[in-house]
This record gives sequence, C-alpha cells and structure tokens, in this order.
Amino acid sequence: MKIIITALISSIFASGASAHSNVDTTTPSNQAVLAEVPAQIDLDFAKKIRLTKVEVTHESDPTVPVGLDGQTRFERAFSLPLQNMGDGTYHIEWRGLGMDGHAMQGEFTFDVN
Amino acid sequence: MVRLVFWTHVEPLDARLRRFSLTLASLALMATILSLLLRGAALTGDLAGMVDREMLGLLWTTSVGKAFTYRLAGVILIIVGLYLPIIGTWLSLSGGVIALWSFTQIGHIPDLDQTGIRMLLLLHLLGVSFWVGILAPLHWLARDPEYLEIAANLGDHFGVMASGIVAVLVLAGGFMAWLLLGSLSLVFTSAYGLALVGKVTLVAFLLVLAAANKLRFIPGMKAGKEQAANHLVRSIELEIIVITSVLIATATLTSVLSLPM
Repeated sequence: MKIIITALISSIFASGASAHSNVDTTTPSNQAVLAEVPAQIDLDFAKKIRLTKVEVTHESDPTVPVGLDGQTRFERAFSLPLQNMGDGTYHIEWRGLGMDGHAMQGEFTFDVN
Repeated sequence: MVRLVFWTHVEPLDARLRRFSLTLASLALMATILSLLLRGAALTGDLAGMVDREMLGLLWTTSVGKAFTYRLAGVILIIVGLYLPIIGTWLSLSGGVIALWSFTQIGHIPDLDQTGIRMLLLLHLLGVSFWVGILAPLHWLARDPEYLEIAANLGDHFGVMASGIVAVLVLAGGFMAWLLLGSLSLVFTSAYGLALVGKVTLVAFLLVLAAANKLRFIPGMKAGKEQAANHLVRSIELEIIVITSVLIATATLTSVLSLPM
C-alpha cells in the first residue's frame, strides 16, 4: 500500500509540475551574441498561450521579473520590455498556460558583448 | 460497478468494501484539489502559485476548470452514495462515470475535438476501472480459506467478462494512440512514442498475469487448492504494482509529454 500511495503521489506531482514547451521562435534567438542590449524580447508560439511568468537573470545579479501587467489574453506573439543590465549573459525563463490547460515553460540565453 | 455486477459474490465484504471505497474516494477528493493547486504552482514556478487567485482563476477558464468540476462533483457523488441505502450504489456509479468523464476533458484527446473519441476514452476508462475494481475484493476473498469457493467463482465470472473487457481496452487504446500519433515511425522516434511503448509493454505483462490467473490459479481454486489461492493473491499484488506503473506512464503521456509534430 505504501508503494502504491508513494507512486500515486509521485504521478500527481509529476503531472502538476511538468510542462509542455512549444515556443516557435524567440528574439533574440537562443545562444545569440549581440552588440547591444535589446529594448525588448519577443516570444512566438505555435499555439496561443497566456504568459504567467517571465524572469531575467543577468550574470550573478538577482533575478528580475518582467512585468506582465498588460498581458491578459491568450496570444501567439509577445513583445516584452527588457531592462538594460549591461553587457554579459542574459538568461530568460518563461512560464505560461496553453488554451488546452497545459502548463508550459521554457528558457533561452543570449550574450551581449 | 463491482458491487452491482458481483453483488452475490462480494456481499460478505460489503462493510469492508464501503470503507475501502470511502478511503479511495477521499484520496481522490484530495488528489483532485491538490492537482488543481499544483497546476497553479506550475504556472508561477513556486508554491505561491498554489494559492494565487489569478493563476487559479486563469486555470478555471480552461479545460482544467471543466475537468476539475466534473471530477469534484463525481467524487462527491461517490462519497454521498456510499452513505445511502439502495439508491446509493447507483449514485456512486453515476459519480464514478462523471469523474471518469473528467479525464476526457484534458490531455491530448480533447485536441481531436470529437465527441466519439471522448466516448471511446470513457469506454476505455470504464473497462480499466472495472478491472482495477475487482482486484481488492478478489484479493480479500482469496486470502481467506473460508471464502475459497466464492473467490473461485468470482474469479471465474470475471475471467469470462475480462476477455471482452481486454479486447475493448486494447482496441480502444490502440485506436486512440493511432489517432494521436498518426504514424508508426513516431512510435520509436519520439519521447511520447517511447513512453507509449513502455505503457504497452507493461499492459502486455498485465495480460500475462491475467492469463495465469484465468488459466491456472482460478481453475486450481475451483478444484479446492488453497495453494492456487495463495498464487492468485501474489499475482494480484503484482498486478496492482504493474497497474500503478501503467497509471504513472499514462499520467506522463497525458500531462508531461507533448505529442510529436
């Protein structure tokens, strides 16, 4: 019985914390090397999603959330303002909800020299 | 379902069966609520999402909210039915069907947007439920030498029905997999396909166990051999572990992995 309960709980957590990721393209693209910090980041998805969280991590600086106040609808394309934190590596992590109810998540990185 | 179909066999277990059903339904109730809260957490990436009204409200507007409503209503009906005489069994059965219908609202099947396919999935789930539902009472009866004959008869009757159930399960499951994947080549070249192969392999192992029950242990029990009943008990315990693995594989297929493009 213990095994069954443990397995069931594991499966519940697996489904709850997991995610589909079907982002089509990002701008800047993953692993891109840029001369200047872009004013915004773009995310294009294969299907409409609602973004629920986007965070930027720059080098060893604390992670900064990207404001999603204006994002209140399911869309395929998003343009979000990016805070200029200077040269270095930017790591973007996003989470969202597909119209079918699936949680989605993804990440990409670019460098500014 | 088991109480309705095999009442004469499981009558001695009535009180135990009710307690067991109540325990499982209570677990299902908690899992239903926890599942919604965890989906909220998945949207924010932290535990705060579990109580984030915006995230939970957002989920409510999608098929997750619809599935949650059906499942919650179904499980509550099951629990209420367990406390009511006569009509209670039918109420619980209705609750069970409604709870199973909730699974047709999420996952990849709704993407096909065909009521017929949802009905096929419901049929598949009803077959699975009936199979899983027989295991505990059969296990209890087989463990008690006093009920050896009843256990043998129950196993025998279920074995006859199981032939049809297994055919429906395999055909419905195979057809849905074909609809979702669309190509045999994707079975071995995608994570979804490989997980499906894992699930089918486990199901094949289950069928071997079921065949051993039907062809060796149940006939042995009918001949009055207690040793055969012990083998059946072990076989059912193994079946429960394999079925749990199949459920985990199914949860992975429906919630974690994307369909190959």
